[in-house]
Amino acid sequence: MEQLILASEECDLVENSVCAPADVAELFEFRTPIFEILGFPITRTVVVIFLTAAVVIGLLFFGLRKKAVQPGKFQTAMEGLIGFIRDEVAVGIIGPDGIRYFPYLLSLFLFILVANAFEVMPFINFPVTSRMAIPLFLALLTYVIFIAAGLRRQGFRYIGDILWPPGVPVALKPLVGIIEFFSIFFVRPFSLAVRLFANLVAGHVMLSILLVTGLVSFLTIGEIGLIKSAFGIAWWLLGLAIYMFEVIVILLQAYIFTLLSAVYIETSLHPQH
Amino acid sequence: MYVLLTKAYYLLQEVEPISEEGAEESGAALLLPAAEELIAGIIAFSIVFFFVWKWGIPVLNTALEARQQAINSQLEAAEAAKVEAESLLADYERQVANAKAEATQIVEDARGAADEVKTGIVERAEAEAEQIKERAQDELLAERERVAGELRRQVADLSLDVAERVVGLSLDDESQRELVDRYIDELGGVS
Repeated sequence: MEQLILASEECDLVENSVCAPADVAELFEFRTPIFEILGFPITRTVVVIFLTAAVVIGLLFFGLRKKAVQPGKFQTAMEGLIGFIRDEVAVGIIGPDGIRYFPYLLSLFLFILVANAFEVMPFINFPVTSRMAIPLFLALLTYVIFIAAGLRRQGFRYIGDILWPPGVPVALKPLVGIIEFFSIFFVRPFSLAVRLFANLVAGHVMLSILLVTGLVSFLTIGEIGLIKSAFGIAWWLLGLAIYMFEVIVILLQAYIFTLLSAVYIETSLHPQH
Repeated sequence: MYVLLTKAYYLLQEVEPISEEGAEESGAALLLPAAEELIAGIIAFSIVFFFVWKWGIPVLNTALEARQQAINSQLEAAEAAKVEAESLLADYERQVANAKAEATQIVEDARGAADEVKTGIVERAEAEAEQIKERAQDELLAERERVAGELRRQVADLSLDVAERVVGLSLDDESQRELVDRYIDELGGVS
């Protein structure tokens, strides 16, 4: 809301055709502390990050606390979602020993889902997963977990197994080794983090610019002339369509991150694939 | 397409107020994590993970076990009801089978009794017919005997008469009769 008001105050549609900030960082950087706790700055983003944790815990608590034998709609939905992560992702991808990683994968999925969902949540309108800190931390966590899982299961043979899949000719081993080394130890965590980050950044930029332009052109309909107003409302309608699209992206990106984490753990545990 | 346009527009706008260095810095800055956000993210995710691990999963498991038990007990009840129904059905089937067998038995008994009665009647009729036939034959034989005796006596009398007349003297009655009988016997032996 604050964002919308700020943007609309600064926006001048008489001179420009869309409301876009001079610097894209203005849409993402909220570094001014609201207050401080023991010198730790509580910024708007920090508040939304903790709100994410609170919402996840609230969802789980209200979804599971009743232990009813005949569950209500909300409990059924939560159990369906949790069961999906357990059966299709944890056990479905990794196998029977995937149940060990189920708490992590479930936390990951719910945390990313809720953090993403703030993109389209009225009055918040800001996905914290579009701040590199969150995707980077989660990607590094997955990275540490899948390497630890591989080392624990196979010892140092894991490194050799993962660098040279079975059946690689000896002549190609150096080349394949270099490619696999970069692919697994650098590209994997980076792509995992950037995929989530970039999707949410793009979504947030599009929604902010289109919806704010639409709103401002509607509010200033007399000043900017008919053609610009018509364009503004067209942008607004496009923004609404993208809003619906973003709802899918939110769910999909949370699922992809969780799924890929499971796949990486699986390749560490069963290298023959 | 639209995104590209927006971006192009936005880039054009940006060049004017901000120097190129500034733009690059702000773009790259987005890729670097802010310290307070990283710390907040670590703490928030840890809270979520510990909540899921220590509370969520155990609660989920107990709920699922309770439901499993409820379903199992319902299945058992259904199984018991099914067994009972099957035994009832078997009872009824046995009763129906018994009734059918009984009916068949009754019909067969009746048929047997009727056969016996029929056979009895026929046998009795045959025996009676046989008796009648035998009696008729006996009567016939007796009549024949009687007629033969009568005939013999008349023949004897006639013969005596004839002989008396022929001989003129009378033999005593007894000796005459013996004579005639002997004669007839001789005749009978010849014929």
